[in-house]
Amino acid sequence: MKKINALGIKHPNSKILVENILKQNVEDELIINLKKSEDQGLEELAVKYGYDFSAETKGNELVVRMTKKDIEIEKLDVTGETCPGPVIIVGDKLASMQLGQRVEIVSNLKETLDDLIISAPEMNGSVVDEGETNGKYYVVIEKVESEAVSQVTKRDKVLVVQSNGIGNAERAYATFIFSKAALSMGKKVTVFLLMDGVSIARKGNAAKVKHPAFDRLDKLMEPIIEQGAEIFVCELSAEFRGIKQSDLVEGTKLAGAATYITLLSDPSFAVVNF
Amino acid sequence: MEYTEKVKEFKELLQTKGSPVAVKLVKSSDEIPEGYSKISAKKRHCEYVQDARLEGLEGYASAEEHLCKGGAGVMGITSIPEPVATGKMYHKLGNYQTLEASKETVDSIPKSNENYYATLYSPLETAKFEPDVVVLIVNPKQALKISQALLNEKGGRLSSDYSGIQSVCADAVVAVKQRGVSNMTLGCNGSRKYDEIGEDEVIIGIPANQFNDMVDAVASFKEKWGEL
Repeated sequence: MKKINALGIKHPNSKILVENILKQNVEDELIINLKKSEDQGLEELAVKYGYDFSAETKGNELVVRMTKKDIEIEKLDVTGETCPGPVIIVGDKLASMQLGQRVEIVSNLKETLDDLIISAPEMNGSVVDEGETNGKYYVVIEKVESEAVSQVTKRDKVLVVQSNGIGNAERAYATFIFSKAALSMGKKVTVFLLMDGVSIARKGNAAKVKHPAFDRLDKLMEPIIEQGAEIFVCELSAEFRGIKQSDLVEGTKLAGAATYITLLSDPSFAVVNF
Repeated sequence: MEYTEKVKEFKELLQTKGSPVAVKLVKSSDEIPEGYSKISAKKRHCEYVQDARLEGLEGYASAEEHLCKGGAGVMGITSIPEPVATGKMYHKLGNYQTLEASKETVDSIPKSNENYYATLYSPLETAKFEPDVVVLIVNPKQALKISQALLNEKGGRLSSDYSGIQSVCADAVVAVKQRGVSNMTLGCNGSRKYDEIGEDEVIIGIPANQFNDMVDAVASFKEKWGEL
């Protein structure tokens, strides 16, 4: 998919430019931003080169989309996936897509898609179509640029505070499943382990936690670290329990109260406690 | 792709001054090929292009090195400074009668949709990387032959767009990388002043994968027409 900004280019140069791009014959889809009325001749070019043509007005601009006739939108069937599986799958997919690309999500549960529709803007997605066909629900999401929202009000980071540790398996699991979902939605994730929560970071401890329905806890924690989540371990809580930096799993680090307070004071963080 | 022989042929055919310049936008330091180091001199993108063209400069420049933040901004190396993005700067400089006209222009400038770590430069003949774009600084007669050559296989017309600002960066690199087609530009006040692009020279950006075919077409013209 190629997306070009041709806002300053007037007809007939807009047509000449688009034809030269189509002649390269390398793209499945071409999206062109133009000023209104500068799209003369583009529909006939689409026909000439075997593309479907659509044009959408956005304010003073026109978004022209040319899609090769034999190209289908990729479909993801999330039927059977339980929360937060669908949002992780769709978030990862959107992260790998280019602006303007679309993906169709299918499920037998409308609630699953409703959840995706609500969270789509947070994943830089825009819902362009939704409905029901052959007994299944579908939603088509287009990758869009993140909205220009003030950094002061935009909460694009998540702070997961965990204070229960391996003694409460459900909360321990929730810490990393929730973090995974947030990462998939494009959020920056920071986990702060304090009080009993520090036990999760002690070498070997997470590997002892296994629920029959889920992977071992360490198998959930490792990819979160690999994907860039920062994991801080409260220095005081660690000292209280005789835990040193050398006792901690790779990717976690001791941090003091100042770090914790700084994180809590940062309005760009949404805070969740487990 | 191998360019050494084609560059030699290109220079001989058109008697160009200096080299075609290979330019690549890289997303991280991992993409910098071995042997390329950070350019020590802080300069503008257009100056680096001229240095590669005329002095054989090879290396890369990150946000730190780029002095023209507008140019670096459109290429995704830094964010575009607010006075540039809003049009205030060019309005204040007198390029446009109104702020609206200035904003209309800066909104239309091709800008990178992605963020990049650095710009990588080399004369094309010695490039150890596959460039995104080859920048040619040539005289109008050479530009004519290049234009004819670009149309040699598939015909049609060429369209070039520029606004007289942010030229070697936006017009000759970003627009070409995004569209996959060539673009010619007349430079901007900055590039004419700081990197001394001659009064008799224009700038053409072409997708790297079209360079060899373009040279072949120029060679065929020479064969058929004798003198170029």
